[in-house]
Amino acid sequence: MTGHKPRPVLHEADAHALLKEYRIPVARTVLAKTAADASRLFSELGGGPVVLKISSPDILHKTDVGGVRTMVRTADDAADAFEGIVASVKRLAPKAEIEGVTVQPHVERGVEVIVGGLRDPQFGPVVMFGLGGVWIELFKDVSYRLAPTTTDKAKRMMMEIRASPVLKRFRGGEPVDIDTLARIIVSVSELMAARDDIMEIDVNPIFARRDGAIAVDVKVIGRAVE
Amino acid sequence: MKALRPERVVLVGSSTMTEEIGMTHPDLFRGIQENMAGFKGTVRVVDIDDPTPIEGDLAVIALPPDESLTWAGKCGEAGVSAIIQITGGFTAVQRATYNGHIERYGFRLLGPNSIMGYLDTGIGLITAFNEGIAPAKGPSSFIVQSGGVGAAVLDTAISEGCGISRFAFVGDKIDIDDEDLLMDLLEDPETKAIGMYVEGVKDGRSFVETASKVSAVKPIVALKGGISKEGARRARSHTASVSGSDDIFDIALKEAGIIRVPSIQSLIHTSVALANQPPLEGRRIAIVSNVGGPAILGADAVVRAGLKMARPVEETVEQVTSKYPGVEMINPIDLIADADGERYKHVLKAVLADETVDGVIVINQMKSCFFSPGDVDGILEALKGSSKPVVDVIPGGTDFRTLRGRFIEAGIPAYTDPSHAVEALEALHSYSLVLKGEYA
Repeated sequence: MTGHKPRPVLHEADAHALLKEYRIPVARTVLAKTAADASRLFSELGGGPVVLKISSPDILHKTDVGGVRTMVRTADDAADAFEGIVASVKRLAPKAEIEGVTVQPHVERGVEVIVGGLRDPQFGPVVMFGLGGVWIELFKDVSYRLAPTTTDKAKRMMMEIRASPVLKRFRGGEPVDIDTLARIIVSVSELMAARDDIMEIDVNPIFARRDGAIAVDVKVIGRAVE
Repeated sequence: MKALRPERVVLVGSSTMTEEIGMTHPDLFRGIQENMAGFKGTVRVVDIDDPTPIEGDLAVIALPPDESLTWAGKCGEAGVSAIIQITGGFTAVQRATYNGHIERYGFRLLGPNSIMGYLDTGIGLITAFNEGIAPAKGPSSFIVQSGGVGAAVLDTAISEGCGISRFAFVGDKIDIDDEDLLMDLLEDPETKAIGMYVEGVKDGRSFVETASKVSAVKPIVALKGGISKEGARRARSHTASVSGSDDIFDIALKEAGIIRVPSIQSLIHTSVALANQPPLEGRRIAIVSNVGGPAILGADAVVRAGLKMARPVEETVEQVTSKYPGVEMINPIDLIADADGERYKHVLKAVLADETVDGVIVINQMKSCFFSPGDVDGILEALKGSSKPVVDVIPGGTDFRTLRGRFIEAGIPAYTDPSHAVEALEALHSYSLVLKGEYA
């Protein structure tokens, strides 16, 4: 923190804590400040494959600045990945404040969806649902409801997007866990309705599978302070 | 709103004053006086060049801003309960002065910049100034934010034979707003459907709440105008960066149970359907036509709209083919070009009784067929008392004008193009979802 000017972007740990408060399932995420931290955390997380991601309130598109390494399989690789990420971000986004690098157990992938929240100047808090990952900005295949919303409306939101067949026929024709996704939508909408100090939220991506859905990344933007 | 149902109206203007830029003009003042000739109560004219005392419940003021404020004060002193401020061009300071008058005297204000004011066909109240502006009485009411769009809607309504109960031009809405007028129309026994032209609302959430109350009882359709400020937000998230202000307005209308339409013509077409026909409870549509091509265009539009082409059950097929072996009972149902009123009647009765049919489009073309105006009787007889929505298409222009009146009189919306009929059914289906609480 620079101290005199509060940043509107919540730190990753605070954002994760906020999600947990609203019972939104999010993958366990720990922050490494150094390469040594990264290899130690790799072991603490059980030694399975992990994902390392840049943690910076200034970076919206982590992959664009080389800020993500997936399927990291050893403690040494974790340390290398840490160095690689920090070097890349310093080169591609020299002004970005770097908090460190998060280490997260590898989560089984599923259909990538986004649940978002925003505050409209005319209509107040709104919740958004769409296909996540790289497709969101390209296709803008999203649906909305005023927040807070209900489970029924959340389910209709999912069926409104053009890509909704993907949700009904995920791998081998089985549907993804619509109930859990609906709960996440309702929770984000409740969060937006209750916390007027929060302007924007991206819970993105959420991996939705046959049973369960889990968020692996989250961004929370607070109200700008003059 | 009792304030807009006066017994005594006073028209305040000038027989000489003209604004350099603005609507104040002797012709406008005279036009209002002429249109008020059919008012059921008393009308007084106060010409400020030679003023007489103000006596009335509702004052209509058509003067430049400064003069309007002076006379609004005098109207307040005289105890009017409402003012319709026709003219506009008020500065922020002048608007504040108006608000001061409202607070002091307690009258309600429609406007300023209302331009065409307010129409209530039930009491013959017409404060618009153009000639030929009086619509027929009927079940549709409108609330419009722009004088220009509103006038176009009104003119379309008149030319399409869409009967009107009330028509409000809200203007700058410094007092009476969309919510007040919606609640007023909720209470109006004549109003069966409401059409709106909106650019923005004062308080978004409050508007949604009020409109929801109204749409649970009476259908509302809306045309939205205004430049959407895409990307005006300083977005730092994906969510905010992909979301335009129009996306949010769109969902807010949906949550309010308001059916959004894309054009002035659609606004009239759908409100006529909603005012006259029951909601479309399912998605299965039958098309009964005396001509092939337009029926196919209709079927295409049905599918495009997310509705379905019905498949009549065996009993229905039997009922038709036993009497008319030449009619192939594959939907769209082609009655063949020589179909008369009797054939339409027989087939429509069978189709309307079919449980797998939720709504019907009737197509009766004149040119290239043997359909004559007398054949309309057979159609209308079959439709009498139907609990399912039915809309009619008379493909073309002059033929449409020849037959339209018969259908409108019977409460059957008639259109020139099959796609307009489908748009109407789509709105009727949306309204069934609104009533079930499943529209948003």
